[in-house]
Amino acid sequence: MTHKEQQVIQAMEDEALFTFAEYDPEAAERVGYSDYSYWGSTLKIFLKNKTAIFLLCLMGALILFTTIQPYLPNQKSPIKIHTDPATGYPLRNRPPSDEFWFGTNVIGQDLWARLWSGTRTSLLIAIIVGIWEVCFGIFIGAVWGYVRQIDAFMTEAYNVINNIPTTILLMLLAYILRPSFKTMVIAMCCTGWLGMARFVRNQIVIIRDREYNLASRCLGTPTYRIITKNLLPYLVSVIVMRIALSIPGTIGWEVFLTYIGLGLPIDTPSLGNLLNEGRQVMMAPALRYQLVFPAVVLSVITISFYVLGNAFADASDPRNHY
Amino acid sequence: MLRYSIRRLLQSVVTVFIVITLVFLLMRLLPEEGYFGDSYDKLTPEQREAILRKFGLLDPWYIQLRNFYSSLLKGDLGTSIIYRRDVPVIDIIKIKIPFSVSFGLAAIGVSLLFGLSMGIHMARNKGRFWDQIWSAYVVFINAVPAAVYLLFIQLYVTGLKYRGRPIFPMLFDRYNPRSWILPLISMSLGSIAGYAMWMRRYMVDQLNQDYIRLARAKGMSDKQIMVKHVMRNAFVPMAQYLPTSVLLTISGSIYIESLYSIPGMGGLLVDVIQRQDNPLVQALVLIYSSLGIWGLFLGDVLMAIFDPRIRLERREGAR
Amino acid sequence: MTEPILSVRDLVVKFSLRGQILTAIRGASLDLYPAETVAIVGESGSGKSVFTKTWLGMLDANGWVDSGSILLEGKDLARYRTEREWLTIRGKKIAMVFQDPMTALNPLRTVGMQIQEVLELHHGMRGEEAKARTIEILGEVGIDMPEARYDQYPHEFSGGMRQRVVIAIAVACNPKILICDEPTTALDVTIQAQILELIRSLQKKLGVTLVYITHDLGVVANVADRVAVMYAGEIIEYGTVEEIFYDPRHPYTWALLSSLPQLGVKGQPLYSIAGTPPNLFTEINGDAFAPRNPKALKIDYVKRPPFFQVSPTHSAKTWLLDPRAPKVEPPETIKALQAKYEGYAQ
Repeated sequence: MTHKEQQVIQAMEDEALFTFAEYDPEAAERVGYSDYSYWGSTLKIFLKNKTAIFLLCLMGALILFTTIQPYLPNQKSPIKIHTDPATGYPLRNRPPSDEFWFGTNVIGQDLWARLWSGTRTSLLIAIIVGIWEVCFGIFIGAVWGYVRQIDAFMTEAYNVINNIPTTILLMLLAYILRPSFKTMVIAMCCTGWLGMARFVRNQIVIIRDREYNLASRCLGTPTYRIITKNLLPYLVSVIVMRIALSIPGTIGWEVFLTYIGLGLPIDTPSLGNLLNEGRQVMMAPALRYQLVFPAVVLSVITISFYVLGNAFADASDPRNHY
Repeated sequence: MLRYSIRRLLQSVVTVFIVITLVFLLMRLLPEEGYFGDSYDKLTPEQREAILRKFGLLDPWYIQLRNFYSSLLKGDLGTSIIYRRDVPVIDIIKIKIPFSVSFGLAAIGVSLLFGLSMGIHMARNKGRFWDQIWSAYVVFINAVPAAVYLLFIQLYVTGLKYRGRPIFPMLFDRYNPRSWILPLISMSLGSIAGYAMWMRRYMVDQLNQDYIRLARAKGMSDKQIMVKHVMRNAFVPMAQYLPTSVLLTISGSIYIESLYSIPGMGGLLVDVIQRQDNPLVQALVLIYSSLGIWGLFLGDVLMAIFDPRIRLERREGAR
Repeated sequence: MTEPILSVRDLVVKFSLRGQILTAIRGASLDLYPAETVAIVGESGSGKSVFTKTWLGMLDANGWVDSGSILLEGKDLARYRTEREWLTIRGKKIAMVFQDPMTALNPLRTVGMQIQEVLELHHGMRGEEAKARTIEILGEVGIDMPEARYDQYPHEFSGGMRQRVVIAIAVACNPKILICDEPTTALDVTIQAQILELIRSLQKKLGVTLVYITHDLGVVANVADRVAVMYAGEIIEYGTVEEIFYDPRHPYTWALLSSLPQLGVKGQPLYSIAGTPPNLFTEINGDAFAPRNPKALKIDYVKRPPFFQVSPTHSAKTWLLDPRAPKVEPPETIKALQAKYEGYAQ
């Protein structure tokens, strides 16, 4: 018996204690209240992840910077060849200095400008492809899942397409259509949507057959409400996650294609191109900066988006909610 | 078991057939220049047409397809135009295959060994220091394009010196085993990450299963459970991961072979694409496409060996 | 009076859940005697499973025994920390039959293997000897053609058969105490009866102490010698099965028995207990059932009641048994039950 209990009991008379207390049925029910909100919980968990917040700000700043960089004062053109005013010769392979923050490359172009231009290009490709993947993928997946008659055919088609290594398909498409910005985008759009379609199709099939949805239907819930309350929250989080994860993937493929020689034309700077150029001079330690700068920026971008994608996936998983 | 294998085999053959035909038709879209090599500009339109006709490229597509399959069955994959003028593709590829295949198999072995161990270690130390370290490795490998880290590995690791001489040579030398190590490990890095993540996820899942709890209640120690129940069960879905492994190794080999100058098919592919040697490109693409499909077939058969539910019941649905 | 083989006193078990502490067991006490059948009844979430899991050290990783004792053959199991200590208990002294037979067996290994493992582990049997004994056990639990079944996989068995296999595994262990955690909930009604009968006959043969965890009072009436009623992590009443059914003293037991549909009167609404069980994340003052008890006393909100003895075998944790408490009649339905009993007893 605690001291407090003793006091309370002594304060009351035995008689008083052993009388009936007021019975309040409401009080008994109060325990069960839950103010759970899906998005609220998702946000709460995401915000707890300090790494994710940091990277989110970093990527935000990066994208902002690459967009406004050309308009900042003292920026040079990425394709202009700079010549030494004294000798008239191109300023080749100059290490980083006050004038050229990242140095110059083998033909005398400003690496700083090229790097940000390349980042813009690569990010642009990645984002376009990501958005397409999601839109087209969802569309195909929804149709695939909804229209039962074509399910068998689509499944077979999926198996066949899935069996062709992406590597080969991309190379083939780039080879046939001849390398260019448009080709890159088209080729990667052709290969990326499949995963999304498959996923959406599975979700739709589940929506039809899962018991909690059957239960909703039994209760008279209209289809649009099932879609918005059961499917959509999950889908939106998956969309965001997939876009985030597809960005490093697309950049990776771009680098791959550039490496083989099917990347963007040399005059269009891209992260892949810059990496390639840097590779050609990497054997000379003094010139290694031409490889290191693009590599670092590339790594930071890809790792950030990858971690962000995963962090969001974890946060939006209802099993982690509370 | 036999019936299941035969069924899968037939399915694979059909898929390969479809894929090859598809690829073949796609290849018809290749730019003309690839068939002429350097002499494109020097030829008159009539001469070009003659050459195209010689290759059968002006025939209707179904005739081309038929010719293609008949030559394929005879083992004729065409003749190289630019890379090695007029040398049958088969002969060129024949020399390269052993290198790619042996490296590929060795890489799969290495990745299994390191990847699975890493995954087990991660699951055991879940949430703690080592789990986070290995997770960082996996994140890095998954996020950063292989070209980047493979490059840096070659750059900096070959710079390591012991007693003044570099430990690892830059280029592959068939007769110097030490030159095999770096390319091999580099090729495995991607698969190691894959196996590790898969194994970790699998083990964490399995360890929460009811039958594991019953095994503990029976009085089996964690170690015994690990060996007798978890490990054995792990092989089934792992077999499913095998084809992905094969594919990863294929793409990895393309980088590695050119970085380290290994005379295999990957390096050849890079070369002939740049030189636009169409018949060789076509042949290599066909080979790589079929590899993936056979990997899938192998994976399914392996799974069936280990999981009695598969061979005794029908399984439907998209993979 | 025989000595209990297991003696749990004031056990407190806590879980760490997403940064908060949940007190799942709040001072539960129970004695188990040789060769008897005890049923632990309670709602979902009352802590029945957690309670028995502590005897095997099978709590989830985020749970621990905070205080209290579990005495088995002179050793305090609540103090056990290492796997090696638990390996002397699990299977050997205490075995468990789980609720869901569909998932309790490893789908990729033969049934025979899974039973034989136990023999090799606990009784040191090997090879042919172990196999023969396994087949024998398969027969004992009522599985047809045991030699053929030995090599089959779990998915080739029906639900009821699988549960028999799980029971076979427990039998092979030859423990002193067998815990059956809702062994028939996942099965058809017809199979339920068979399984209960099987367990009963095995108990007679082997002389184990059976602990049934269930929320099904029908099963309790069928199999139990003694009953312990659990609410919000405490044992609030225990006694022989007749005492609990025909002379319950705790208001929760009254409510529980009143909710039996069989006791419903045609044309009248069925009785159900108002409210929900308390939140175990917070500390509870006094009697946990008080908020849902229309007949609660003021002291129920202040101080937790101790056990009051009704008979040498029957005790309840309620202030209503305190001599100072007003006389409270059990509800009509309970009185009706009582009358029925007295009718039979004549």
